[in-house]
Amino acid sequence: MSRGFFDSTMAIAAALVVLSLTPVSGAAQTSLLGSDVEARRSLGGGGQTPTAAEKTWSPPRTSDGQPDIQGFWNNQGRRLSTYNIEAMEGASETHTLLSGVQSDSQSLIVDPADGKIPYQPWARAKRQDVFDNHTNLTKWEYVDPHTRCFLSGVPRVFYQGTFQVLQPPGYVVILQEFNHGSRIIPLDGRPHVEDSIKLWMGDSRGHWEGNTLVVDVTSHNDKTRFDIVGDFHSDALHISERYTFVNPDTISYEATFEDPKVYARPFKMALTFGRTVGGEAAQSYELLEEACHEGQRNTPNMFYRLDSSPK
Amino acid sequence: MGNWFMNSVIVAAFVSLAPVPVAAQAPAAKPQAYTAPRTPDGKPDLQGVWQVLNTAAWDIQDHQARLDVPAGQGVVEGNEIPYQPWAVAKKKENFENRLIADPVTKCYLPGVPRITYMPYPCQIFQTATCMVIIYEYVHAVRTVYTNRPHLPGHIDFWMGVSRGRWEEDTLVVDTIDFNDETWLDGAGNFHSDALHVVERYTRTGPDHIAYEVTIEDPKVFTRPWKMSMPLYRRQEKNAQILDYECHALEEEALGRLK
Repeated sequence: MSRGFFDSTMAIAAALVVLSLTPVSGAAQTSLLGSDVEARRSLGGGGQTPTAAEKTWSPPRTSDGQPDIQGFWNNQGRRLSTYNIEAMEGASETHTLLSGVQSDSQSLIVDPADGKIPYQPWARAKRQDVFDNHTNLTKWEYVDPHTRCFLSGVPRVFYQGTFQVLQPPGYVVILQEFNHGSRIIPLDGRPHVEDSIKLWMGDSRGHWEGNTLVVDVTSHNDKTRFDIVGDFHSDALHISERYTFVNPDTISYEATFEDPKVYARPFKMALTFGRTVGGEAAQSYELLEEACHEGQRNTPNMFYRLDSSPK
Repeated sequence: MGNWFMNSVIVAAFVSLAPVPVAAQAPAAKPQAYTAPRTPDGKPDLQGVWQVLNTAAWDIQDHQARLDVPAGQGVVEGNEIPYQPWAVAKKKENFENRLIADPVTKCYLPGVPRITYMPYPCQIFQTATCMVIIYEYVHAVRTVYTNRPHLPGHIDFWMGVSRGRWEEDTLVVDTIDFNDETWLDGAGNFHSDALHVVERYTRTGPDHIAYEVTIEDPKVFTRPWKMSMPLYRRQEKNAQILDYECHALEEEALGRLK
């Protein structure tokens, strides 16, 4: 709940935000895992290929027959994630400088093969402008929406700390600790809301195909971003997600992004989710309230400077 | 600031034009001999999209209409709130300053039980170990575990920490660990960080939950006191939780969200 760490100096504010967003929680929470969980966990990048045993693996089931993936998860890849999903040249060094955490430079994007989002030329230029100014906050457009305590959107919800999966009958419900975000995914085949309705976390509809949860996400607004350095989408974004429950402690996540207003062609992102808490410990663990907006203290300083800066 | 005001206007318009809400503000009916459908683990099924139909978010006590506030009959048992003498004065001061002092005007989480009677829907989910309530208003979430004791010590949370237990067909939710920054309504009724809230959720029919809440706070009140109201199931076939992102809407109105 404490966001009182903002300094009025914008560069420091930006640095501290990055610090708070680095994907180190996996290491911090490792002690909560049972040794068997440790042994099974893969710490590789996203989109790992299931082994033969995993392909035929029969998971435990919920009362309504869903593969039971309930529990606490986070993104286990050592990719840059919330700082810069493309891992552009120099991103790793900047991230290390800002966060003090050594990062590798793998992109979350697995298709196209170069790891770059296939932006239309105008969109690439807009993104580059934010990238060039994300530590020089002279316009509102340069401020990461997370810094302002706006909801993460999809898929950023998955590489922003721990999230919990619950499976009440007929649903998959995802709770995010950061800014108490949530996703409600009905599994009963009901139609999407009208696309004229826009939602910070999108509108999700899902179904299971074997051990894979397939979710279609529409009705995104155009205000969320994929990372700190300005990777973005429009309100025409359509995401097709596949969550494959590979083994008891690993979910392989792959999502296809289409947005004809912003991208020249669809692209794919891959993540690997691992359990953050396993075994007995999961029975007493819980997400706590992260009251982001309520805890902001010094941001009025930043807002004053931005409101009064030349446009 | 403006969003709560605008919303008040909208809801006020609805409430003042509709013939039903007078009846809706009567205290919740005593739980009838209704047998609720069961969840897979045999507990009464509270799941669905629910919403109150009353004016408690503005004022939990009997009140005349005020500008942008619909008149309403109170939800407090006996209508009187047993404040300690100093707290009577504090409540009066809060009321006089309510248009800027109400924490909801800053888009803060409204606390418990006020979140229940904000004029927005919520959706209840149940698993074998918890009830989760996802509220449309400022994306508040409560996870009510039914399989564990409270956390040790006192930590300040806007929404407290909740634990549930079943008493026959009633889910009893015990919530502590509050901060002292939320109000109980928009009229300045308040509490301290010693607040202890006990809610009782009982299905009384296919589309109703009787909601009763006991407020205890030895720093502010002379004795525990109660409120009650029905929760109504949203009947629309496409009912679902949408967004009321108060903070973002305010930023947008100020030209800071591009």
